[in-house]
Amino acid sequence: MDGDPKLARLLEHPALWRGRSAARRAVLPSGFTALDERLPGQGWPRSGLIEILTARFGSGELYLLLPLLAAVTRAAGARWCVWVAPPLMPFAPALAAAGVALERVAVVGGARPLWAFEQVLRSGACDVALAWARAPKARELRRLQLAAERGRTLGVLFRPRSAVREASPAVLRLGLAPCATGARVTVLKGRSSDRGTIELTWPHDRPARPHG
Amino acid sequence: MAPLPIPAGTEPQGSEPPRAAPAPRVVPLTALTRRAASTPAALELWAGVQLPGPVPADALQRLARRALHYTPRVSLEPPDGLLLEVQGSLHLFAGVAGLRRFLTEECRRLGVASVLAFAPTPLAALALARAGRPHAVLDAAQLVGQLAALPLTTLRWPEDVLGRLGRCGVRTIGAALRLPRGGFARRFGTAQLATLDALTGRTRDLRTAFRARVRFRRRRELLFELENHQAILAALAPLIAELGAFLTERQCSLLELECRLEHRHAPPTCCVLRLAAPLADAQHLAALLGERLEKLSLAEPVRGCELRTAALVPQRADSLQLWQPGEHGGGLSSEASGLIERLRARLGEEAIHGLTLLEGHRPEKAWGKTAPPADTGGRPAPRGRTARRLPPASRRPLWLLPAPRSLTVRDGLPRRRGPLRLIGEPERIETGWWDGEEIARDYYTAADSHGVLLWVFRERQAPHGWYLHGVFG
Repeated sequence: MDGDPKLARLLEHPALWRGRSAARRAVLPSGFTALDERLPGQGWPRSGLIEILTARFGSGELYLLLPLLAAVTRAAGARWCVWVAPPLMPFAPALAAAGVALERVAVVGGARPLWAFEQVLRSGACDVALAWARAPKARELRRLQLAAERGRTLGVLFRPRSAVREASPAVLRLGLAPCATGARVTVLKGRSSDRGTIELTWPHDRPARPHG
Repeated sequence: MAPLPIPAGTEPQGSEPPRAAPAPRVVPLTALTRRAASTPAALELWAGVQLPGPVPADALQRLARRALHYTPRVSLEPPDGLLLEVQGSLHLFAGVAGLRRFLTEECRRLGVASVLAFAPTPLAALALARAGRPHAVLDAAQLVGQLAALPLTTLRWPEDVLGRLGRCGVRTIGAALRLPRGGFARRFGTAQLATLDALTGRTRDLRTAFRARVRFRRRRELLFELENHQAILAALAPLIAELGAFLTERQCSLLELECRLEHRHAPPTCCVLRLAAPLADAQHLAALLGERLEKLSLAEPVRGCELRTAALVPQRADSLQLWQPGEHGGGLSSEASGLIERLRARLGEEAIHGLTLLEGHRPEKAWGKTAPPADTGGRPAPRGRTARRLPPASRRPLWLLPAPRSLTVRDGLPRRRGPLRLIGEPERIETGWWDGEEIARDYYTAADSHGVLLWVFRERQAPHGWYLHGVFG
């Protein structure tokens, strides 16, 4: 449909809103071409809450985000990248080796993670905020989503796979499972995006798992 | 001065002959400056207070704060002297005699004996006091005569200068003043000549005025005993508003605020607010204090409250940002410091920290916690840090356990919810013999049955235990 230039010009009218334009928001490239193609707007949203659901801690969810973290913290005028209540301590040498600017990384302690996450999102001091929460309530998630929009921050919430059945106000929900050379990413929810599963291959700097 | 002769032919008829303007009086500038330099000395009267021996800096400051009751111009002469400019205060405190009585009383109250001398120049007053002569020289004309007999040691010149002067037979101020200026400066130094000039009032002797530290301290008795945090915060509101006005008036910010809540029997509850950046905004302070109070558990109802500030810092007048924060490299200091304060107020001082690399091969000692990242003003992050030799990313996990966790072993291989499969070559880390925390480990990457990659190691020493140390994420 977009191939017709006349129609394309008509559709550029600012009063026209199409479902697909919801995806045409500012995005951050994910660093994985296959994933970019599948994500709404071809990248991570610039602001808003996204959820990454994994069956187990350490399934590769951080490797999914590393290119983003490296690009965001190295950008001119970068704000912070805050880790709220991480289950273990992020290992600084590995982050630095992956290209993340440690000067922009802050870690917030474990008590009251959801409150702290909301404060971090709302403050507008961060580009990206990562949080780990066990069982947030729907109302709290809604607050987080609003706070992220207000602070123009990308909030990433890591949740267990079992949360897949719960409704969520997040802009984007991804399921992630490890596979032989990388991870299998499933888009569970996304504004006007294609659902489906893709396989990502981690770059060579992550040890690969042999077959079998 | 006579009018200029004008040739008769050119004079216009029927009009006043033009007059030359009165010639300006030309006075050499040096004469003016000399007069300007000599007049203020005559208009000033300095009181020099000499204590018997060196006193600690805070004792001297305490005395200076007391002295501020008599004149606004007080300057410290550490370690044992104090200067007050009292010309304007004479009529308020019954002249020199009255002032002398008051100041001696102040010194006595602080437990020190003192010698007080009055003179038109600060150095002269100090020299008289140091010589132990409690004179009052009110007339500038008599100054040199009064000083002449004083020993040169009262000026506290360097020992070698005094020694050289002594060998020339110059031991008093009068003798030094009689020496030719040029030769004196050449042989004994220009600094010493400048001292003599300041002593006699030939040049102006400027002193740094002592300023007492400004602090805010207000107390409020409550009409009712309060237990509710919201009510206490409401009771504090007028004090906070007063604090805001106080800070605005003085163009100061604060870094630390103490709030004391008084009870009927129990000792007062203190809550101290430490700020990440200087702050002067009363509303912001109230919000932070509210966060802090909510966390506080009170032993008893509150009967009174008090706000105290620590030392204040002058406010920096910053321009407002043209760009929104985060946009085109706009600054972020206010959001970032606000966030740090909110988190700290609710979760404690340790709530937020940054990460940094440390030199070391032991994984536990290769990173450290730092203060939260400072505002970088939107500049791109420096790239030098990662240029350091880092291990290849493939060999380091993104997560590190706080301490290695022991793994069960079956058939010589580690297990964690099923057998672990080791991947690739091991990496040997064997270091740290110098501080007693030596490690000798072979690190492997291992995959568990669910595909999660782990960082495990085997002790090189017996009993060759297997440990889990990291998760690749």
